[in-house]
Amino acid sequence: MRRFALLLLLLLPGMAPAAEESEPPAPLPPAYAGLAYRLPEPGSYELPPLGEAGDGEVLDMDGSRLRLHELFGDKYVLLTFIYTHCNDANGCPLNAFVFHRIKRKMQKDRTLAENLRLVNVSFDPERDTPAAMARYAENFSNAGPKGEWRFLTTASPQRLQPLLEAYGQDIQRKLTADGKATAFSHILRVFLIDRKKRIRNIYSVAFLHPDLLVNDVKTLMAEEKRHAKGEAAERESPSALSGPGDDRHGYERVDYRTHARALASRKGKAADLVSLVRHPPLGLPPVPVPPLNPITEEKVALGRALFYDRRLSLNNTFSCAMCHIPEQGFTSNELATAVGIEGRSVRRNAPTLYNSAYSSLLFHDGREENLEQQIWGPLLAKNEMGNPSVGAVLSKIRSTGDYAARFRKVFGERGLTMDTLGMAIASYERTLVSGDSPFDRWRFGGDEKALSEAAKRGYRLFTGKAGCSGCHVIGERWALFTDHSLRNTGVGYRESMGGTPERQRVQLAPGVFAEVDRKIIESVGEAPPPDLGRYEVTQDPADRWKYRVPSLRNVALTAPYMHNGSLPTLEAVVAFYNAGGVPNPELDPLIHPLELSAAEQKDLVAFLKSLTGGNVDLLVADAFAAPVGDVGAGNSPDTR
Amino acid sequence: MNRKFHGLGLSRLRTLSAFLTAFSTVFPAAGWADETCQSPYMAKITGQEDFVYVWTLGVEGLGDGQDKLVTIDVNPASPRYGKVVHTLSVGGRNEAHHSGFTDDRKYLWAGGLDTSKIFIFDVHSDPAHPKLVKTIDRFVAESGGVVGPHTTYALPGRMMITGLSNNKDHGGRSALVEYTNDGKYVATHWMPTDENLRGAQKSGKYADGYDYDVRVLPRRNVMITSSFTGWSNYMMDFGKMLKDPEAMKRFGNTVVVWNLHTRQPKKVLDVPGAPLEIRCAWQPNHNWCVTTTALTSKIWLIYEDERGEWQAKAVADIGDPSKVPLPVDISIASDDSVLWVNTFMDGKTRLFDLSDPFHPKQIYERTIGRQVNMASESWDGKRIYYTSSLLANWDKKGKDNEQFFKAFEWNGKELVPKFAIDFHAEKLGRPHQMRFGAYSLYAETEPTAGGTQVAAR
Repeated sequence: MRRFALLLLLLLPGMAPAAEESEPPAPLPPAYAGLAYRLPEPGSYELPPLGEAGDGEVLDMDGSRLRLHELFGDKYVLLTFIYTHCNDANGCPLNAFVFHRIKRKMQKDRTLAENLRLVNVSFDPERDTPAAMARYAENFSNAGPKGEWRFLTTASPQRLQPLLEAYGQDIQRKLTADGKATAFSHILRVFLIDRKKRIRNIYSVAFLHPDLLVNDVKTLMAEEKRHAKGEAAERESPSALSGPGDDRHGYERVDYRTHARALASRKGKAADLVSLVRHPPLGLPPVPVPPLNPITEEKVALGRALFYDRRLSLNNTFSCAMCHIPEQGFTSNELATAVGIEGRSVRRNAPTLYNSAYSSLLFHDGREENLEQQIWGPLLAKNEMGNPSVGAVLSKIRSTGDYAARFRKVFGERGLTMDTLGMAIASYERTLVSGDSPFDRWRFGGDEKALSEAAKRGYRLFTGKAGCSGCHVIGERWALFTDHSLRNTGVGYRESMGGTPERQRVQLAPGVFAEVDRKIIESVGEAPPPDLGRYEVTQDPADRWKYRVPSLRNVALTAPYMHNGSLPTLEAVVAFYNAGGVPNPELDPLIHPLELSAAEQKDLVAFLKSLTGGNVDLLVADAFAAPVGDVGAGNSPDTR
Repeated sequence: MNRKFHGLGLSRLRTLSAFLTAFSTVFPAAGWADETCQSPYMAKITGQEDFVYVWTLGVEGLGDGQDKLVTIDVNPASPRYGKVVHTLSVGGRNEAHHSGFTDDRKYLWAGGLDTSKIFIFDVHSDPAHPKLVKTIDRFVAESGGVVGPHTTYALPGRMMITGLSNNKDHGGRSALVEYTNDGKYVATHWMPTDENLRGAQKSGKYADGYDYDVRVLPRRNVMITSSFTGWSNYMMDFGKMLKDPEAMKRFGNTVVVWNLHTRQPKKVLDVPGAPLEIRCAWQPNHNWCVTTTALTSKIWLIYEDERGEWQAKAVADIGDPSKVPLPVDISIASDDSVLWVNTFMDGKTRLFDLSDPFHPKQIYERTIGRQVNMASESWDGKRIYYTSSLLANWDKKGKDNEQFFKAFEWNGKELVPKFAIDFHAEKLGRPHQMRFGAYSLYAETEPTAGGTQVAAR
């Protein structure tokens, strides 16, 4: 300690670097003067990688050779180039001062000691021999035994040069009259290197402070923890791209933290969608393609352009994708029931479009029979896309960009008609087939390891005690998880016939709730529209509150659940069926209390989470690659 | 007539504008702006205003059902005092919301939160009869996907526009968008998110990327933005939203401090519960702004501490937060001594003593109507105007859905009603943002001269 303290004392009065005389003295660097601001919480910010940290041959204090990269990977590394004769207070001694403080911290902080390595490499190999480095190291032994601080040099300036280049260290020797090097002119840089050998931060004098460095190291450690957790979650749900970019997971809690993605990075790569239809992923039957609407690449591309074109609505604010948001399971995770143009209320939850190619019952009440016809429902609904007529839609598309020409190219003389518009959009939607989930790889691919034990137990419950597969059918060669029927679970009944609570719990901010009077909510809300389900199509009282049995593929991506989005999580759905639904005269006979234990319910959820398709990210990335059509965007955006 | 204008002639305005364009961060304009909530880079009306321009939402089935700019004569010396003197329909219902003048105060930019159109009105050629001279209908495409132009805020020679949403998920992640005064797109500045903080420091738990209002303190080279919610929520039926737990999670919880000069976000502050309007202090030694959180009903002070760090602090409750009174518009006095705060749900306006900004105290309140949203006060604080509409689908339903413009005088002790206009009875719609006009602003302008040319529509 004595020698180090002496070193510092000697240096402190002349702390300002050798500056031009006309310049005012520079302020003390933060390492000496203290940080002028409070550091953010470790892990609360990002340190984007700045590229790979360079490698090269170095010599240890005992003279042994090693590659610099051998010191990276197992620990985080703070690396600085120094030379032992340096006397610029804002250069090497500053680094020594800061590293010394960090080493002191390591004596008390075990995690830091175990995960961080301090490394100095000399850029004066001629004078800084391994033995000289060992002597220099002794200056700092008083910092304590715990943790690691390495003092390295190189065999020669030639060995050093590639390292200097790799780290952008511009060194100029100051020579005496007889040509001997006395000192080096350099700018102090400290590099933070992660376990993947990537540079994550570079510090100069202006923000070199032990607390800040340790904060950054802890931030990288937190990131690693997060990734480890994320990877575990990924195994259950193999889609990295799915989920709202504005992730509000955990918002109920007071310790909620945002995990918002940047819109500008929402980019993707176009996929070969037609081949998905021709060769559907594992676990799916052949995709039914109507003979009158054969699938072609150009037609799918045209339909895709239309699907993401907001000009398809009366006031240019709504494309199909505004409710069927690709990264939100081609539905909306952010709304229980949809909202249409001018904010008009839609009474049901937007259904996912995954595997809609297989459905002959479209809409929750099954009132449409194929996708070609179905698309006209939202286009003309006053509370969805709000177009006044078929003619108005066609006329608008005809005069928008190059759509008219593209329709002629795809459909020949027929060009753009009520039918061909449906055919184009339906062709794109038909490509959104998704299988090859962990379940498929286990059940149809024979991969025993594809499914976790919990999910396997869940499968046995799904097909056994819980009776789910009675409606959500699993076949011998493939599974669509639906029997294409309409059934009454009581969710609709409860909404129509149940009472309204006098007070409603409303969330105001993370962890902040208020109980709001029914009267207040009613004063600012329209009365909810009636919804009688299938009855509205058949007028048969026995069909009251019947809704379509949906496929369960990708169900982990499509919250909230049920036709009105009233159940927020899969856990809530399983609990709902476990309780036997909502009793009512038309309750489906297959629904009854299941008497599942808490562990069994958990297993069922694990099984449901294993149904996420292996090609989801391919489809979402393809959707990200599709430009959004807006007024002024010129041509129909997709011209591939 | 008591018209008073602080005396910047056209040529000086022009010179000043050019000067400020070059040195935007160095000198705030000599003209402190409108009436306490406008850009500091703008001429102000210090005396009696002649007109209030009310950006009004069309209501389906009421009159022509379109959004319109409604001009009301508010000069007591005028024979048409208290009357609607002009209305200008713009086509469609665009969710008319906020409006703001260009720095030369010749044009009023009025945004539509739904269709993302921006309507540019000439208010200087004939202040009693604004003309629609240009409509920007490519805002979304030009900005790279920003939806919902909200605040249109004058910077020297250009307009800074806050966006509320985006064309990908209709959520709250958005950006600031810059246009020249003559309506040309300049740049998009995305709000900082966790994934890309854009160099900002996340000082707390949130970096949501949301946006709402913008104000500047040029002498501190600081720009401040707040955060609300995305299209799906602000367009949705209010009652439906309150019952949708997922939707209620999608509100902003941040205020961002920017480097005004470089347009870089510097620091993201946690201000939970949807901080909306921002008003910055006018006095030269007051390095602070205030905002109010709509959902958590608090006044927050955004201030520069003694170390030069910007901080956020909740300094007062507004009414009883557990009753969710929903504070909406605020208006600060030109000497920073008091702050008007409107609460939508109870229709009240509340006056807070702001002489110690760390401890505001409510000193007066009055019910304006069954619902109230906007408040605009004159520079001398003697007149204050109120309108009723918040958002088309958030306004109250049934008989509570009063739609009015109300003019009051503040005598230092109480508000004295002067006149009111029933926007239902007049078949106008839902009145929202108010901006003041005065002949005196253009008294030295020759009719043919124009500092800023705006292309014909």
